[in-house]
Amino acid sequence: MPQLNPEFFVSQLFWLAVFFTFLFVFLWRVSLPRITTVLEKRQNKIDENLSSAKELQEQAMEIEKKINDQINKAKLETDGKIKDTINALQEGVSSQLSSLDKDLEKKVSDAEREIIKNKNDQMKNINNEIANITKLTVGKIAKIELSDNEINKVIETHKGSYN
Amino acid sequence: MAAKDSPLKQFEIDPISNIELGGYNISFTNSSFAMLITVLVITIFLTVTVNTRSIIPSRMQLISELMYNFIAQLLSDTVGDNGKRYFPFVFSLFMFVLIGNMVGMIPYQFTFTSHIIVTFALAAVVFIGVTILGFINHGIKFFTFFYIPGVPFYMHPLLIPIEVISYLSRPISLSVRLFANMLAGHTLLKVFAGFVVSMPFFTGVFPLAFIVALTGLEILIAFLQAYVFAILTCLYINDAYHLH
Repeated sequence: MPQLNPEFFVSQLFWLAVFFTFLFVFLWRVSLPRITTVLEKRQNKIDENLSSAKELQEQAMEIEKKINDQINKAKLETDGKIKDTINALQEGVSSQLSSLDKDLEKKVSDAEREIIKNKNDQMKNINNEIANITKLTVGKIAKIELSDNEINKVIETHKGSYN
Repeated sequence: MAAKDSPLKQFEIDPISNIELGGYNISFTNSSFAMLITVLVITIFLTVTVNTRSIIPSRMQLISELMYNFIAQLLSDTVGDNGKRYFPFVFSLFMFVLIGNMVGMIPYQFTFTSHIIVTFALAAVVFIGVTILGFINHGIKFFTFFYIPGVPFYMHPLLIPIEVISYLSRPISLSVRLFANMLAGHTLLKVFAGFVVSMPFFTGVFPLAFIVALTGLEILIAFLQAYVFAILTCLYINDAYHLH
């Protein structure tokens, strides 16, 4: 078996030492630090991106909160305004209604007064009418010329019966 | 069978250029050449692919990072935070064995991990390093590593020698495991390759098909043995930190 031939043992050990030492030192000093740098750089980048993503998320949440606040505020404001408007409208309607009522009352009372006045006027006139009619009727039927005083006297005595 | 056709001929070492230093023969051989190729492949690949240092990696850079993370994860799983200091060593060891095995899978290429002297040297470095580390971390208390707590006292005369022997046989088991796997795999491939040539008519396609399947298995074993070598190194380092 060639493996047990000691002729080249020293040679193999020598070159193994040379090449393995070279490989070890080269990897230790040159290659591995490069890969370490790359991996660290990548990890840093990932961490950075993650933290900035977190920050952005927080900002977004803040903005969302603000938006919700504003929506709520706007809702409250519109609610208030709607209420105010309703109240104002109701007040306007009721005041108009009451003024209408007042007008109507006034008109009714005016009308009543007018009616009473007219009635009174008519009552006054009715005496004259009665006197005239009586005078004419008596004159035509009985050919008697009655004086106004006489007629009025008669009317006064019967007044309560038609009034 | 003639020596020329022996399945073990592939493990013979041929000097490429004869060098002598202080009376020792340190010729540059086909084994040294395979090591050179291995080291060049690893250093060039790991340097070129990560050259751009881009945050979004290219496919090749991703392979480098994958291997880096594979060993980093292995170390942190077995040793924990203490393991970070040994990462360059374990990574070099893993890559050296892995690419050495893979280079050996190239036809006509020499497999230096199939030589016990090479694997034993690597295992010895791990063993001596870990033992020194154990004494640095625990001082003389490191010897309590051989004392298993919670065992009846009369068992200790039996158990302590067993523990010592198992500790001392670590470099042997570590090196022989890798060496034997490589030796067996490559010998088997060569034997079946011999069948392809020597079998009559078209029946040679059967061993050929077997070789194709076996090559896949050998590539798996090449990775697996490198992984086993690395994970056992990690476990030994862990033992140097945590006694029983």
